[in-house]
Amino acid sequence: MLSSEEKLVERCLQGDDSAWEGIVNAYTRRVYNLGYRYTGRTDEAEDLTQEIFIKIYQNLKSYRSEAGSFQNWILKVGRNLIIDRYRQTRRFQQSAGSEEMETMNLSDEKTPSPHRIVEQSESARYLREALQKLSPELKEAIILRDLEGMAYQEIAGLLSIPEGTVKSRINRARLELARLLSKRRAQMGVLV
Amino acid sequence: MSCPDVEERLSEYLERALPAEEMARVAEHLHACSKCSSLLEDMRTIVLSCKSYPMLEPDVDLLERILLRTSGRPRTRTLREIIDQYFLRPMLTRRFAAGAALAVLFLGLLTVLARPHMTTIATFLSPREMIHKMDRGVQGLYAEGLRAYNKKNEWQAQFTFFKNNVFHKLGFWAEQLDVPVQTNGKQKSGEPRQRQEKAPSQKSSLLLLPA
Repeated sequence: MLSSEEKLVERCLQGDDSAWEGIVNAYTRRVYNLGYRYTGRTDEAEDLTQEIFIKIYQNLKSYRSEAGSFQNWILKVGRNLIIDRYRQTRRFQQSAGSEEMETMNLSDEKTPSPHRIVEQSESARYLREALQKLSPELKEAIILRDLEGMAYQEIAGLLSIPEGTVKSRINRARLELARLLSKRRAQMGVLV
Repeated sequence: MSCPDVEERLSEYLERALPAEEMARVAEHLHACSKCSSLLEDMRTIVLSCKSYPMLEPDVDLLERILLRTSGRPRTRTLREIIDQYFLRPMLTRRFAAGAALAVLFLGLLTVLARPHMTTIATFLSPREMIHKMDRGVQGLYAEGLRAYNKKNEWQAQFTFFKNNVFHKLGFWAEQLDVPVQTNGKQKSGEPRQRQEKAPSQKSSLLLLPA
C-alpha cells in the first residue's frame, strides 16, 4: 500500500500540479532550514532552496520508495547540492566573513522580520557563528544530528558512511563547539 | 582513563549510549578532572542550544518562486490570504486610518450638533415617512414621464406641420421658377407652347418635385 508521500509523488509524476504544490508546501520549511544551517545566510538559503526544488522536480522519477522515505530522499538531494555548490565556489570558508556584511545590511531594516527576531537570540547567533567555523564534514554531521534531529543510523544512510564514523564526527563537532564556547566565555566573560 | 579517552566518549556519555562499565569509568574521571567536566558542561550547553535552535519560517514568496520555476503554476491561495491581500492589506494603511479617524470625528460632531433636532430627524428617518417619501417620489417620476410623453407627441406634431409646410413652399417656389414638373416623362397639359420650347436651366432641372 502506498504511503501519502508516495501517492503525492505518483500524482505529481502524472502531471498533477496541485500534488507538486503539496510537496513544495510540505518540505520548503525543512529544506530552507537545512540551507540556512549550512550557509548561515537567509538569502543563500533561499537560493539553495529554489535550486534544490528544481533538482527534485527534474529527478522525481528517480525516487524509489524501497530506498527510503521521501523526506530522506529530499534531504539527500538537498545535502548533495549544497555540498557540490560550496565545493565549487569554496564559499564555506567565506561564509563567516560575509555574514558580518549581512548583519550590517540588516541593521538598516526599519522593521525586523521574523528571521531577525530569531537571530536576536544570543545563543542562536552564537551557534550560527560557531557552526561556520567547523569543517564541512563536522558541520554536516552536527546539523543532521542536533539541529535536524536525525538518528545515527539515518545519518549514516544519508551520508553513505559507517555509523561509527557518524558518531565520531558528531563527537568531534560537539567538542570543537564546546571549546569555542569556552574560549568565547574566557574572552567576553559572559555566559551564552 | 586518560583525558583523550574521555573526550572520545564524551558525546556518547552525554547521550547515555555507552555500556554501563564505560559509563562508570568516564564518570569517575569526570569527577576527578575539572577540565573534562567543564568540557562536558559546555558540550551539554551546545546540545541544548541546538535542540532549542528555532526553525525559521521561509518567506511565502519563496514558495511562489519555487512553483513558478518548476511547474510554472502560481501558488493556490487560501481564502484568508485572498481576504488579506484584497481587503485587509489595502485597508490597514495610514491613509485609510486617517480617513477612518476623520469619518468618526465627522460623525461624532454631527451627532453632537444634531442632538437638539433628534426627534425631527427620527421622524424624518422613520420607515413610514420613508415609504411615504418613496411613494411620492415614484408618483412624481410617473407624472414626469407622462409629461415628457405628451411633450414628445406635441413636438412630433409640430415637426410634421413644419415639414409639410416646407414641402408646400418648395413646390410653390418651383412653380414660380418655371420648372417643368416631370410626371412619368410627360409634361402637364395646358402649359403654354413657348414655355415648352424654352430649355430649362441646369440648376432648376435637377429639382424634381413629388408627383
